[in-house]
Amino acid sequence: MGRRDIEIGLLFSRHGSYALIGEAGRTGALRAIEAVNSDPALDVTFHPVERDPRGNIDAYQPLCADILEATAARHVIGTTTSWSRKEIIPTLERAGGTLWYPCPYEGFEASDHVVYTHACPSQHLVPLMDWAVPRFGGRGYLVGSNYIWGWESNRVARDLILAAGGQVLGERYLPIGDTDIERMIDEVRATRPDFVLNSLIGPSSYEFLAAMKAKAGSVPILSCNLTECELPAMGQVAEGLISSGPYFRGARGWPASDGIDFGSSFEAAAWLAVRMLADLLAHRPGAERMKLQDLLASSRAELYGIDRATNHLTLPVLIAEIRGGRFEIIARRDAVAPDPYLSRRQRGEAPSRPSLTVVSR
Amino acid sequence: MRPGIVVPVLDDARAVILHRPHPTVAALSRQLRAIGLTVETHWPDLRAEAITADYIFFDADLGHDAQFPWRPGQSPMPLIALIGSEAPGRIEWALSQGATGQIIKPVGDSGVFSALLIARQAFDARKAQEAAIADLRGRLSERQTIVQAVALLARGNRDETVAYNQLRQMAMAWRVTIEDAAQRVVSHGGHGPAIRDLCPTCGGKGLARPA
Repeated sequence: MGRRDIEIGLLFSRHGSYALIGEAGRTGALRAIEAVNSDPALDVTFHPVERDPRGNIDAYQPLCADILEATAARHVIGTTTSWSRKEIIPTLERAGGTLWYPCPYEGFEASDHVVYTHACPSQHLVPLMDWAVPRFGGRGYLVGSNYIWGWESNRVARDLILAAGGQVLGERYLPIGDTDIERMIDEVRATRPDFVLNSLIGPSSYEFLAAMKAKAGSVPILSCNLTECELPAMGQVAEGLISSGPYFRGARGWPASDGIDFGSSFEAAAWLAVRMLADLLAHRPGAERMKLQDLLASSRAELYGIDRATNHLTLPVLIAEIRGGRFEIIARRDAVAPDPYLSRRQRGEAPSRPSLTVVSR
Repeated sequence: MRPGIVVPVLDDARAVILHRPHPTVAALSRQLRAIGLTVETHWPDLRAEAITADYIFFDADLGHDAQFPWRPGQSPMPLIALIGSEAPGRIEWALSQGATGQIIKPVGDSGVFSALLIARQAFDARKAQEAAIADLRGRLSERQTIVQAVALLARGNRDETVAYNQLRQMAMAWRVTIEDAAQRVVSHGGHGPAIRDLCPTCGGKGLARPA
């Protein structure tokens, strides 16, 4: 039997303020496409249809529409910011398309036109705060980029910190790409928090880390979005940064990876999206035109740990510290269920949740 | 620091959808289950168990008063209108039911979480306001009683300011509102025990004119 040729869209920004993340996702998707195409057990051959929004928020919707209208692709891998994801969801709904979204995000969404292959807050921010507050103390200072990721991450963090008896000493935002971090640094020095939660993205974040290192070096900095893919831009100043995510380079336990190593969790999540899509389409002629709900109604989807109610995945939770230019894992939980609305921990689940295993410290 | 929104407990909360079988119900149910609620569909009327639901979504297009086991506006839980036809008459009817949230049909991929939060917040705020207004109305209707009580206490040449202060002291001593204290004074009227005996702890005090 011959292989089915299937076009799939790649919508990653390779330019602009978060190009490193876009490149990581694109690398993961292309690696998976190459592996799928040379896998004799599969009867599909993927042909990537690439569009580059260049970090311009207004380019995502037209480029996504172009993929869905000008090509046969129904599945699109990509977008980095929640803002861009939300921009294209109406287009996906109209065209019956699916987005495979490979980045951590702030939750409170469960579109049935999106598969979320990276972590939601129950898998990054909640375990990070659970881990950090008893160690460092409950007096936190929150910074973020001026859009939904920064705002909602910090709102959730505020709830978690207050629930743990802590205190939020300050909360500051910068427009994406802005590097005017002086005021934040001055406030950190004035308030002397037990930790800073950094939900800035791109150059704002790099500038902030550099200034913190120079002027407030002893304050721990926590992140839910920094990975190896931004190490080249961060450099030495990132030493000591603590980050949570479902994967760090060399970690075991990434779904379906069979020991393959990835450059970062962004790469791993995009790889997983393509790999999972190939498994769902293989040996099901016409499946590439199925509605997502029908496509996922398969025992193969269950193997990937997908929660059918929310289209999110059960994933590992790792907390890592940058030591000697690499992320060293210091705590982990193997399988954490997704809870994008953070509703499932409200009824007294918190005390019984398994705690993170400390790997080394 | 701005005050945070209170996110209601939604895990295992119960939602009842009052709508005929329709894709709208499937889309709505999917969103509700993703958030963590359990979902029941009732049609054409709300069954008895609806009375303990946490949220009720109702069809504003085909709905009518007789579907609900309570008087319009008296639901014990937040109501969210499912609006297809945006005709003023239908919106008026949905509002008369006391809907504090709305979702426009066809229901797609989103909108339910914000509808739940907004409906809950508005419902709780309305309940609190209704309680506060009922309390204020009660007090307003007791104004006449206070006037009567002050007049009774002012008998015997004391002026009304002194009498009013005495009434306040009585209320404090009895640990009741001034309206309740006034009612006690009035109910004793000019008969029975002397007014001063009503309040032994403050009976003699505060009666003299201030110097």
